[in-house]
Amino acid sequence: MYLLRLALASLANRRFTAFLTAFSIALSVCLLLTVERVRTEARSSFASTISGTDLVVGARSGSINLLLYSVFRIGNATNNIRWDSYEHYAQHPQVKWAIPISLGDSHRGYRVMGTNQSYFEHYQYGRRQHLQMAEGREFATDPFEVVLGAEVAEALKYTVGDTLVLAHGVSAISLVKHDDKPFKVVGILQRTGTPVDRTLHISLGGMEAIHIDWQNGVPARGNGRISADQARNMDLTPTAITAFMLGLNSKIATFTLQREINEFRGEPLLAILPGVALQELWSMMGTAEQALFVISLFVVLTGLIGMLTAILTSLNERRREMAILRSVGARPWHIAGLLILEAFALALAGVVAGLALLYIGTALAQDYVQANYGLYLQLAWPSAYEWSLLGIILAAAVLMGAVPAWRAYRQSLADGLSIHL
Amino acid sequence: MTAALIELNQLGFAWPGQPPLLDIPTFRLERGESVFLKGPSGSGKTTLLGLLGGVQKPDRGSVRVLGQELTELSFAARDRFRVEHTGYIFQQFNLLPFLSVRENVELPCRFSRLRAERARQRHGSVDQAATHLLAHLGLGDAQLLERRADSLSIGQQQRVAAARALIGQPELVIADEPTSALDTDAREAFIRLLFAECREAGASLLFVSHDQSLAPLFDRHLSLSELNRASRPATPEVI
Repeated sequence: MYLLRLALASLANRRFTAFLTAFSIALSVCLLLTVERVRTEARSSFASTISGTDLVVGARSGSINLLLYSVFRIGNATNNIRWDSYEHYAQHPQVKWAIPISLGDSHRGYRVMGTNQSYFEHYQYGRRQHLQMAEGREFATDPFEVVLGAEVAEALKYTVGDTLVLAHGVSAISLVKHDDKPFKVVGILQRTGTPVDRTLHISLGGMEAIHIDWQNGVPARGNGRISADQARNMDLTPTAITAFMLGLNSKIATFTLQREINEFRGEPLLAILPGVALQELWSMMGTAEQALFVISLFVVLTGLIGMLTAILTSLNERRREMAILRSVGARPWHIAGLLILEAFALALAGVVAGLALLYIGTALAQDYVQANYGLYLQLAWPSAYEWSLLGIILAAAVLMGAVPAWRAYRQSLADGLSIHL
Repeated sequence: MTAALIELNQLGFAWPGQPPLLDIPTFRLERGESVFLKGPSGSGKTTLLGLLGGVQKPDRGSVRVLGQELTELSFAARDRFRVEHTGYIFQQFNLLPFLSVRENVELPCRFSRLRAERARQRHGSVDQAATHLLAHLGLGDAQLLERRADSLSIGQQQRVAAARALIGQPELVIADEPTSALDTDAREAFIRLLFAECREAGASLLFVSHDQSLAPLFDRHLSLSELNRASRPATPEVI
């Protein structure tokens, strides 16, 4: 115990270096834990982008491609599927509900998705949470109504009652706008932390209406044009959609129905289990996540090596201290123990300060991160895994402390009681 | 006849790869005696003190302290033996600067149970022993005891070092040039204090210095070069 007192007093005597050393360890510990927490949270948040959906069906392509455009609004469908294919499966006896999805337009960089009422009723994310309206209502029978995701409304400062014009295509700067048929904001969804926040939702009728007078990918001119009012009175049942999501009566039927859809004779379709595709996608991104973790481990290692350097450089100027201790009866192993205790004390201070930084940082950034990245960083007590990481850091520090300890041990044997001036 | 405090016999020592540094046929230091040993730097003085402290082992011959043959003890036992029976005072910067004056004085009692026990027997507690010794050495101010050691003047620091060497009554006090950092007036005053305290504690004093002017104050004075057959003026001391 007295050795600890001596180690701390000696450290306090070099408090500036000791502070910097502990601080660099603290920063590295904080980084490691932050990466670890964000990683865990990102994984669970990613996995909860979509839930409750048993199958996602689209034109035949790759499963990740289908998942990306249907759920994450990334990339584009290679092909559309026919409306009657959708109807065929929507009425399938095993199917409880079906959500049609029609993509392809955008508004100032945000994707527009055509769907119907069952989207609001059945789409689930996170822990089986349904979509909730923050303001206004769902779109109804009028085709020119739009429901905004939370981020769209916030970023573009739209409120219920505003009107907006959709652009054709999905590029950020679109040359062709559907400016003859403006949409009215009737509702804004609550924040979900999923791609839903970045989506504008319109009815399939609306999607059909804005393209009703289009031919070969360009709008009609002159007499060929159909006004919004005219469109309202027309049959707006679509002929094609991009994809659809299915909820089944029984999970057991999932694989059977998946095979049935994949072998559909009407047109080439692809049905995927979103959970499986999410796993595949995550395992691709997992490499980056692993890399980040490894980098933060190296940062911790750097912090510890910094400590080792600081202790080793101090050894020479502390030969006198060691010789005095030897002359009052400290044995060489006391000297070695002193240095190991010093390393341990520095690392412990670093770990404690790192935890403090983590909690202060989490408390400050929690709301911002939740709002902007959909990650809920908890102010939770360290998990068993995190404790073990911290334990490993301390053990590594003690192990590293053995290096200067060994040198000081040798040095104090060689120096004996003679004091070098 | 009781065993002498220090008894050297046919002692020989050389650093590896170098000519013999020490060759001392015989040397005795009786209990309670104060001896001035003159040794210019390079004469093997520090090495001799290392041998007496059991830090180094002689190549041949015997080193007996309190009748105990040091060469027969293990390394750890020599370490223990040293702290239990010897107090050291060095040239200067004797103290750990980051500890208080009191903590510095009490250090030997932290590492030696025997010295802590003796301090308790004589003064009631280690704390009281430190206070008593420091008061005798002219450092009676209670506030001063709690100050950092490096806030004291050099003269005060040397007196603190003396108190530390004496706490827990070691039989032997070895002082290696303890006055070289002090001015002439302070030197003699310091040595008189040291004598008084050694006498009170019943400790022998081996005082090593190159400053011949202090020699008459001691019971006995001798020169290392007379003692040491291997001494050659040109031999540098290597550490």
